[in-house]
Amino acid sequence: MDRVIAVVIGVVLALGLSAIVFIGINKLFDLSEKRFAIFNAVIGGVSGFVVFALLWGNQMIVSPEIVTLMATLIGAATGFALGLVKTRSGRLAVGVAGGLTLGLVAGSATRSIAWPSIDPVAVVVGVALGAGFGALHWVITRRRHSARVLILAWLSVGWLFGAWLAADLDGSKAEVVFVAAVLGLLVGAWIGSVPYPDRLTRASIATGSRKYIFLAPAMFFIAATLLVPLGRTIWLGFLTGTPTKLEFSGLENYVSIFTDSGIIDVSDWTSIFTGRLFWSAVLLVVVGVGLGRWLGRSGGTGLGTGFSLSAGTGMLIGVGVILGGFAFFTVIRGTIPNNLWWIFSVTVFSVGLGLAIAVLADRSKGENAAKSLIFLPLAISFVGASIIWRGPMYTARPPSQDQTGVFNAIWVQVGEWSTSDTSSLVISLGLLVIVAFAGYIGLRGWQSGNNAILAGSVAINLALVWLVYRFLGPGIGGVIPDPITGEPIPDPVIFLTSNPWNNFWMMLVFIWIQTGFAMVIFSAAIKAVPDDLLEAARIDGATESQTFWKVTVPQIFPTIGVVATTLIVTVLKVFDIPKVMTNGNFDTQVLANEMWQRAFTELNFGLGSALAVVIFLGVLPIMYLNIRRMQRERLG
Amino acid sequence: MKLQKHWFIAVLSVLALVASACATDEGGEATTTTEGTTATTADAGTDTTEGSTDTTVDEMDLTGTEVTVFGSESSDEEAGAMQDALNVFAEANGMTITFTGARDFSDQINAQAAGGNPPDIAIIPQPGKVADFAREGFILPLPDDVIAVLEENWDPAFTVFGNVDGVQYGVNNKADIKSLVWYSPTAFADGGYALPESWDELKTLTNTMIADGNIPWCVGIESGGATGWPFTDWVEDLLLRYEGVDVYAQWWQHEIPFNDDRVKTVWNEVLGVWDTPGAVFASEGSIAATPFGANGEPLANGDCFMHRQASFFSAFLPEGTVTGPDGISVFYFPPGPTGARPVLGGGTLPVAFRDAPEVWAVMKYYASSEYANNRQIAQQARKGGELSGFLSAAKNQDMNNYLPLEQVMIGFMLEAETLSFDGSDLMPAAVGAGTFWTEGTSAVNGDSTVDDATQAIEDSWP
Repeated sequence: MDRVIAVVIGVVLALGLSAIVFIGINKLFDLSEKRFAIFNAVIGGVSGFVVFALLWGNQMIVSPEIVTLMATLIGAATGFALGLVKTRSGRLAVGVAGGLTLGLVAGSATRSIAWPSIDPVAVVVGVALGAGFGALHWVITRRRHSARVLILAWLSVGWLFGAWLAADLDGSKAEVVFVAAVLGLLVGAWIGSVPYPDRLTRASIATGSRKYIFLAPAMFFIAATLLVPLGRTIWLGFLTGTPTKLEFSGLENYVSIFTDSGIIDVSDWTSIFTGRLFWSAVLLVVVGVGLGRWLGRSGGTGLGTGFSLSAGTGMLIGVGVILGGFAFFTVIRGTIPNNLWWIFSVTVFSVGLGLAIAVLADRSKGENAAKSLIFLPLAISFVGASIIWRGPMYTARPPSQDQTGVFNAIWVQVGEWSTSDTSSLVISLGLLVIVAFAGYIGLRGWQSGNNAILAGSVAINLALVWLVYRFLGPGIGGVIPDPITGEPIPDPVIFLTSNPWNNFWMMLVFIWIQTGFAMVIFSAAIKAVPDDLLEAARIDGATESQTFWKVTVPQIFPTIGVVATTLIVTVLKVFDIPKVMTNGNFDTQVLANEMWQRAFTELNFGLGSALAVVIFLGVLPIMYLNIRRMQRERLG
Repeated sequence: MKLQKHWFIAVLSVLALVASACATDEGGEATTTTEGTTATTADAGTDTTEGSTDTTVDEMDLTGTEVTVFGSESSDEEAGAMQDALNVFAEANGMTITFTGARDFSDQINAQAAGGNPPDIAIIPQPGKVADFAREGFILPLPDDVIAVLEENWDPAFTVFGNVDGVQYGVNNKADIKSLVWYSPTAFADGGYALPESWDELKTLTNTMIADGNIPWCVGIESGGATGWPFTDWVEDLLLRYEGVDVYAQWWQHEIPFNDDRVKTVWNEVLGVWDTPGAVFASEGSIAATPFGANGEPLANGDCFMHRQASFFSAFLPEGTVTGPDGISVFYFPPGPTGARPVLGGGTLPVAFRDAPEVWAVMKYYASSEYANNRQIAQQARKGGELSGFLSAAKNQDMNNYLPLEQVMIGFMLEAETLSFDGSDLMPAAVGAGTFWTEGTSAVNGDSTVDDATQAIEDSWP
C-alpha cells in the first residue's frame, strides 16, 4: 500500500513538474519581445547548466556541484549582458569575456581522464575543416547570415574536434586549460557576433518558438532513446579495444566480420550439386513447369501464355524452390547465411501456411475454432516457446530409456513398428486402404475435369506408397541395429545438436508462432475481397482455383507484401530462440546472438556494434519499402 | 551604458579568477583520488584504516547502510544460503545487504560494469575477469585492513587468484575442488571394480565396465550460455597430469600456443574416452545436449558408474541421495604418466566497485571464517542436512560443520601438492568464456576436428 501511495505521489509530482516546466518555457518565450535581457539571462543560465550537467553526468569534472552552479551563473550573467549591450564591439567583448571565463572554468575543472594531448596536425585539420564548413554554410544559405557568425560557429566545432575529441587523452593540465579557454573564446566570439535583435526579430522569436516547444518533449525522447544510441553504435563500430581503451581503427571490425569463416563460410559450395536436395528441387521445378505448360495448353485455361498456375503446379514449384533454398543453406554456412536461411524459411512457411489456412478455413464450418487454435501460439513469448520446444517436444533420451520428447517418442515408436513384422504389415494394409480411397477421389476429379484434385491425390499416393515400401522393406523411424548384438535399439534424433538441420528445428518454433499472425491478417484480407468480383469470375466460368489465383491473390497481394516484410524484419533480429535453445552452439549462430556475445560476453563493443550496424543495414531497405508503400496507400 | 559594461566585465573577471582558483584545488584533489583508485592502494588504504583502526566491525557504525551484491549463484540453496549468511552480518550491524543471483551473471556484470551502474560487490567466478576488470579500472584494490583479514584466513595458494599484477583486488569466499570423480562404492564393490590409481587404470576400468555391459561414465556439457565448460575442466585436469603445473601455466598465459601438440594430445585423450562406443550415458541423447547438472539422477540410479565433476556437483544429486560409503562418494581423479598429484580448483572472488566503509566491512566478512561457517550451516540446512555443495578453505573455519565426505574433499585441497585454478577461468574472456567453450563443444559434438578446433581457439586469442 505504501508503495502504491509512493507511486501515485511520484506520478502526480512528475506530471505537475512537467506542466510547470512546460508552462514556464512558454512564459519564458513570452518575455523575449519586451524583456529581452531577462529572457537572455535565463537562456544563458540554462545553457551553461545543461552543458556542465552533461559533463557532470559523464563524470568529466571535479566538484561538479560548485562548478555547475558557477557555469549557470556565468551563463546567466553573459546572457543578461548580451540582452542589454547593443553595440557591436560591446557585444563582442561581453561574449568573449563570458565565453573565456566559462572555458577557463571548464578547463581547470576537467578531470585528468579527459586531458587532451594537443596534436598539431589534428588541430590544423579541425580548424581548416571548421572554417571551410563555415564558408560553405554561408555560401549555400545564399549569404543570408553573417559570414563571421557562421565561420566562428563552425570554427568552434572544428577546434573542439581537432584539439580535444580527436586527441589522445593523456595530456597535461596546461593543455586542457588552453584548449578549453580557446574553445570558450571562439564560442563567446560567435555568440557575441550575433547582432542585437530588433523588435521584429524578438517578436518572431516569441511566435516562432511555439512549434518547437510543443515538439520538444517528443523530439527529446526520440533523440535520447533512438538517435543518440544509434549514432553511438555506428561510432563504436569503428573502434577496437577494451571498453575503457577504445581506439579508432576504421573499417577493421567490418573487415573482420566479412572475412571470418564463422560468419560466412562458402568453402563447401560444390557439395550443393552433389546433394539429393538440390536435384529433387530441380526435378520438382521442371515437372511443375512442364505440367503447368501441358495443362495450360490442353485445358486452355492459361493466362494466354500457355501456362496454367494451379494449386498442383504451384505446389510443385513451391516445394521445389523451398528444397532448393534448403540445398543452398545447408551447405553455405556461417552466421550471415544462417540468418538468411531463417528469413527464407520463416517467411516462406509462415506466409504459405498462413495463406493456405486462411483460404481453406474461409467460410467453412468451425472456422473460428480452427483459427483461434492456430492463432494461440502468438500469445506465447519466444522464450516460453523455446523452452516448450526444447523440453517436451525435442528431448532425446539414451537408447536404454523411454523417449520423453514428443517427436522422438513417435519417431522411435514408428521405428519399432517397422521392425516388427506384424505391426508393419497391419500398418501397410491400413495405408493401402487410404491409397485406394485417395485414388478413387483422384479418379472422380479426373472424370469431372478437375486436374488439381487428380494432381493432389497422385502426390499423396506417391508419398503413401513410399511409406508402405519403407515399412515393408528397408524400415523407417528411429531404430538402428545394435553394433554388437544386431538387435534393433532406439536411435532418437538429437534435434538441437545435429546440424545443419537443428537450425530448421529452431525455425519451426518461429513458424509455429508466426503462422497464426500471417493467417489472421490474410483471413481479414480475403474477407475484404469484394463479393461481386468473385461472382463475376464464377459467372464467366472460372473454376475455384482460377478464382483464387486470378482474383483473390491479386486483390490481397499488398497484404502479402506487408506480412512478408514484417516477418523479414522480425526474423532478421531473431535472438530469443537461438539464445535459449542452443546459445549459438552447434552451428546455429545468428547475427543478433553473435552481436550479444561479442559485445557483452567478450566486452568487444567495437565488433558487437559493427554487427548491430550490419543488422540495421539489413533491416533498412525493407523498412524503406514498407514506409514507401504506406505513403503510397495513404495517397492512393 | 558604458559604465555598466565595464562594471560587468570587472565582475566577470573576478568570477573567472575565483572559478579557476577553486577549480585548480579541486583538480588537484581529483588527481590523487584517481591515482588512489587505479594504481596504488596507498592513499585509499590509509584513509580507510584511519577510519577503522579498530578492526572489529562492531566498533564501526554501519547502521542504516545498504550494500548490494551480485553473483552467479542462483539456485534456491546457493543464493538462499548466501543471503542467509549475509543476513547474519547485516542484522548484527543494523545494515541491509541484498544478494542477487543470475544465471547469466557473466554477461550482465560486463554490461553493468562497462555501463557505469555496477553493484557494490560482484562475486566473480573467473580470475581472468577480475584481471580484465582491474585493468579497465572498474574495480577497486583492497585496502590494507581487508587484505589483513584475507591473509589471516586464507592461504597464499588461494589469495593469489584475486591478485592482479601484484595488487590484491579479490577476496576468497569459497573454494571448489574439481579433480573429483563421483561414484558409488557399493556399485563398485558389486561389480568387483577397484579404484583406479592412474589415468591408464581409469581407461582400463572404462573398457572393463563396457565389456561387462555397464555404462562407465555420465557426461554432459550443456550449460546454457556456458555450454562446454565441463569439457574444459577435463582437458585442464588431464593437462596438469600429463605436463605439470609449469606447462599448464604457460598454456593459460599463452606463452605456448593453445594448439600445442601437448594440449592436442590431452584433447584426444579426453575425446578418446568419451567417443568409445558405450562409454557414456548422456541423459539427453548426446554429450553436448545433456545439461551438466542432469547427471545426478543417472549416477544415483546406477545408469552410469562414474562422473567427473567438481565438489559443487552435490547440489545436483537428487533429493534424498545417501552420500558416503553406502551411497555416493568421491575419489581423487587419478594421476597421469608423471605420477604427480595436482589439484584443479575453482572458486569465487568478491570484488568491490564502491569505496565505502560498509562495502569494505562486507568484503572483510566474505574473507572471514565466520562467513564460511554461517554459509555452510545455512546451506546444509537448506539441503536438509545433506552435502551442501559449498566448500571453503578458510583456515580458521569450524570443520565440524562439514560432513565427513566434505571434510575429505577439503582435505584433498589442503593436502594437494599443487593447486591450480581452472585455466579457462584464467584466460581472457574471449577464449576462456568464448571459443574454448564453443570450439570444445563442436569437437565433442563431432562438428569439428581437434586440429581445427584448437587452431580456431588459437586464432581467437586476443
